[in-house]
Order: sequence, then C-alpha cells, then structure tokens
Amino acid sequence: MIRIQRGRGGWAVDRGGLTRAAGIAVVVVALALGGCSSKQKKPGEGAGGPGSGMGEGGIGGAGGSSLGALQNGTLGANGQGPLADIHFDYNESTIRSQDGEVLKANADWLTKHPGSRVQIEGHCDDRGSEEYNIALGARRAQAAKDYLATLGVSGERMSTISYGKELPLCSEETDDCWAQNRRDHFAVSQ
Amino acid sequence: MKRIIAFLALALLMIPAAAVHAQEALPPLTISSAPRAQPIAVSAFKNLGGDDNHRVSETFGKVLMRDLTLSSFFRIIEPSSYIEDPQNSGFDIGQFNFGDWSSLGADYLVKGSVTRDGDNIRVEALLFDVPQQRRMMGKKFTGDPHDVGEMARRFADAILQSATGKRGPFDSKLAFVSTRGGRFKEVYTSWLDGGGLFRVTDNPTINLFPGFDRSGQHLLYLSYKSYSPELYLADLQQQLETRINPGLGQAVGGTLTPDGQIIAAYQRGGHTNLYLLTQAGGMMRALTDNRAINVSPSVCPGGDQFVFTSDRSGTPQIYAESLDGGDAHRVTYKGSYNTAPAFSPDCKQIAYESRTPGAFQIFVINADGSGAQQLTQSGSNEAPTWSPDGRYIAFSSSRGGRSRIYLMRARDGYVIAPLTEGEGNDTNPAWSGWMGG
Repeated sequence: MIRIQRGRGGWAVDRGGLTRAAGIAVVVVALALGGCSSKQKKPGEGAGGPGSGMGEGGIGGAGGSSLGALQNGTLGANGQGPLADIHFDYNESTIRSQDGEVLKANADWLTKHPGSRVQIEGHCDDRGSEEYNIALGARRAQAAKDYLATLGVSGERMSTISYGKELPLCSEETDDCWAQNRRDHFAVSQ
Repeated sequence: MKRIIAFLALALLMIPAAAVHAQEALPPLTISSAPRAQPIAVSAFKNLGGDDNHRVSETFGKVLMRDLTLSSFFRIIEPSSYIEDPQNSGFDIGQFNFGDWSSLGADYLVKGSVTRDGDNIRVEALLFDVPQQRRMMGKKFTGDPHDVGEMARRFADAILQSATGKRGPFDSKLAFVSTRGGRFKEVYTSWLDGGGLFRVTDNPTINLFPGFDRSGQHLLYLSYKSYSPELYLADLQQQLETRINPGLGQAVGGTLTPDGQIIAAYQRGGHTNLYLLTQAGGMMRALTDNRAINVSPSVCPGGDQFVFTSDRSGTPQIYAESLDGGDAHRVTYKGSYNTAPAFSPDCKQIAYESRTPGAFQIFVINADGSGAQQLTQSGSNEAPTWSPDGRYIAFSSSRGGRSRIYLMRARDGYVIAPLTEGEGNDTNPAWSGWMGG
C-alpha cells in the first residue's frame, strides 16, 4: 500500500522528495512488501529515468523507449536506432513478408551485441477503443518476439510491452500516418 | 415533514471528505437548452442571516441552474428578468405572489432561504408548480461552505424526482483522462457539472481507464508509472492506493464490480484474458481462457452478468457472460468492429462503440442482442458510460476538434452539451453511482 498525498490540484502519486509548487512536501511511504514503486523518486523520474523509459538502465535517443521519447518531447522526431521498426496491417498482428528482412537485420545486430537487451513495443493507430488496442499491441510485440526467437535471439534478452494507441508518431487522420503508427519499436539497452 | 427530516439526517452524515478541498467553481460550458425544455425560474434565496454577500445563495443557484439545464428537462428563465426581490418577500407558499412568476412564463419556480453562522450553513429549498400555485417539494440541508454545491446537486436530483417521477443523476461524479496539464494523460474526477475538479494522478507517463466502485470512494485505473502497465486501486477518501499485482502478466485494463471485486484483463504471450480478482488483487478465477483478445469488462450493476469485447470470432465483438463462470454468448453480430461495452444500470441495454465507414459511433443494443440503435451521428465517438439513473450516456468525441467528454440522452441520442472544455484532450469518461447513496 502506498500513501498518496495531495499535491498541486490533486494527489502526487508515486512521487516523492521534492517540494511542490504549492509548497507541500510530497513523500511516498511504502507500507507493504516489495513494491518496486516504494522507492522515493524525483518528479520526472521513472524506474529508468527520463529518456530511457526502460525498466533498467536504458539508453536515450533513437533506440530508446517510446515513453522515454514522449518524456523528452522527441516522440515522432526520432530517427531510427540500431534496430528498425516493423509495421502491420490494420487490426492485424501478422509479420508482413517485407518485414522479414528487417527482423533478420535486427536479429543480426542483437547477435553481434550479445550484452544488449531489447524491449519490443507494440503500437497501434488511433482508430478503435484504447483498451482493445493495448491488447492488439501486445499481440504485435509478441509476434516480433516469436519471430526473433526463431532467428536465434534468446528469449531472456527480449521483453515486450504494449502502448496501444497511446504513443503515436504522427497524429494526422490519413492512411500514411495510420500505417506509420501501426508498428513494433525495438528499444535497446546496454 | 418526515421526509425532510430524513433527508437532513442523510445530509449531515454523508458529506464526503473530498468535498472539503473541492473547488466549487464551475468551468464555462456551452450548453443550449433542449427543445421542449420546460421553463423554470430559480430565485435568489432569502438571506435569513449570515449570507449578506449572497455567496451561499449564488453558489447554490449557479450549480442548480447548470444541473437543471444539463438535465434537458428544463430551461432557466433569465434571472435578470425576475420581478420579485427575494429579500422583500417570503419564500414559502402564501408569502409571495405567483403572478410575479407566471407573468415570466415560468412553469416551475425554485425559492428558498439561507442561514449562515460561521461555517454552519442551513439551506431550505422549495419547488413550486407555478400554474397550479402549488408547493411540490421541499428539502432542508445543513453543512459547511464547501457542501453548498452538493446540496444544490441533491436538490436538482430531487426536482427531477418531483417533476418526472425519477431521481436525477447530478449527485454523481465523472472520472476521465485528460492532457490538460501537459502532454501526459492523467486521471481526473469532477462532479458531473464540472465542479470540484480533482487531479488523481500526477506522473509523467500514461494513465488510463479510471472506473469507480459503487460508493464512488474507490477508483481503479491503469498506469504506466512503473514503466510497465499495471492496475492501481485508489481509495479516494483514505488517500491510499494499492498496486494490483496478481502475477497474471501485463495489465491491459479492468473494472470494479458492485461487490468491490475487480475484473481485470491481463495479457501473456500476446493473449489477453479476463480474471476475477479480490479487491486486494488476489486471483479468484479466470473468466475467459483462450488465445484471443478479451478486454473491456463492464458489470451489470444489479446482477451477476458482465459484458466484454472479444475477437475470438475473428473481429472484435461484444459478449456477455455470468460472473459465476459459464459460457459467454455473443451479443453483437452487425458490424466488424464493436468494442467498449457498458451495461446500463437496469442491465437491459448495452452501449458500445462501433466502427462505421469513416468514424466510430455510439450504439445501444438490448442485452439479448435485439434492437441495435445508432445514437451518435456526428464526428467520431468513443467510450460510452451510463448515468446512475440510466437516462444519459457520457462519451468522448472529437466532433469539435479536440477530444471532449459529451453528455447525451440515452433514449434518443440528443447531445445536450460538452461536459469538458479548455486545454488538452479529454477521454475515457466513467460515471460514478450516486455519491450521497
């Protein structure tokens, strides 16, 4: 159980340490077991700090997580990291044939960088309900993980997360933009 | 008289702690009166002592007028046209001239009085039938200055009860997600009329899908604040929250049952299934167990049924199932993309969003799968949620550019007004039950 205290205009949840604009010190107290969120954190910091967005020690920039890019204000402005995105048809999670080569190149890079880990992010376009799209993004991330596994990448180096339609690269209501947003992004760490 | 005393006792007991901190200021909203709305006059309340600056009377009147307009049953007769000076006349039957109100075309009239002694406020509010020159209903409320808005909301609900035979829904709250504070989606609550805006989350990640329990004191939501999607159950009164962690995979969403249990969607290996959990997050049983997507549970408030979205047939469709387990049966067959179901309070209807050419629209369908009806026509519309009285549906819509929460009548889809305005996008509306029980 985590104590949450009222901050500016509401509660500060899961943040701690710093004095708020309203002058109210916000402290997070862990009352119970093993919550990773029991650590006190500065505003803006998550488990991996701003810009990484990874569970542990991610890197920022183009190869980093999309949530980190949102925090940095660089989501959609990034170039590619070491691993290229792949894309999906509407409401589909099947790996397209043209993305087989992309995944092969990604697997090769991971083989050449054995100390690296990858978090595969599933994303959707902005059509449809948010909750369904989180589940659809999970399926897309899993599809790439399964594919990379067949190319010899150890499952222990890969994790998946879905952001549904929450982190679009673009926001126009056009076929091109929707197609860009229906993607798996590969966030690399170490 | 008995009823008034009973209501007084209730009012004394039920003032929620959260209201103490709530801002009573109502945000500006563009609300036009509905066609055939009945004219009502809301007189300033007579100051019987202590409300010399008319703060109590003005706050009560402002909230009451907004709620009556939002009901779509009433249109407010412009107060600047009122003839009578409330300070120089009485407020109960026989103490004022109905002619001062019938000449304005009023069918209904609200009058009352305020007594203030420091932080102790006493409001008596009365409803009159002007053509029949008859007192219809009266309520007495006591509380502190922060409670005046809620007194007005309860009186609005009582006016609907008196005029239509069915209690109104204004003593209730809306939870929603907004980017008004910046680029991050945060969870907020407010009264339905926009008063008492309260920010629940404050973390620079993604917060989604708030939902109340029956009491309105607990809020379940999904957050990425640990950099992995997880459900959190916040106790709004105690200001404590629990991270729900049943070890079933990554959280996708969830809802609270009337009994305070949780139906949660977790994905593992790309498959998303629904589970019944205790309030503490302990696993009770799997409600679905297949390799498809099963998400967006919504529980029938009075029964043991729930509805959800599943793509087990190949496309997302609405299914219903018993909380005791048993087979799910498919509710929607028309359309290739039906999601976000919401059970009506009487459990007879299900509102949902459906993909139509070019946009998403809100539909309702009978729980037995008959009588599907498209309610929205304009823009793209998502995430329907029912009022506790079943008269209204709130939903998010981008019809005006930015995404806003809108209010419509469930019976005919008449869109009454946006419930949110200002910066950012507002999504994921969730309506509470009645806060005052």
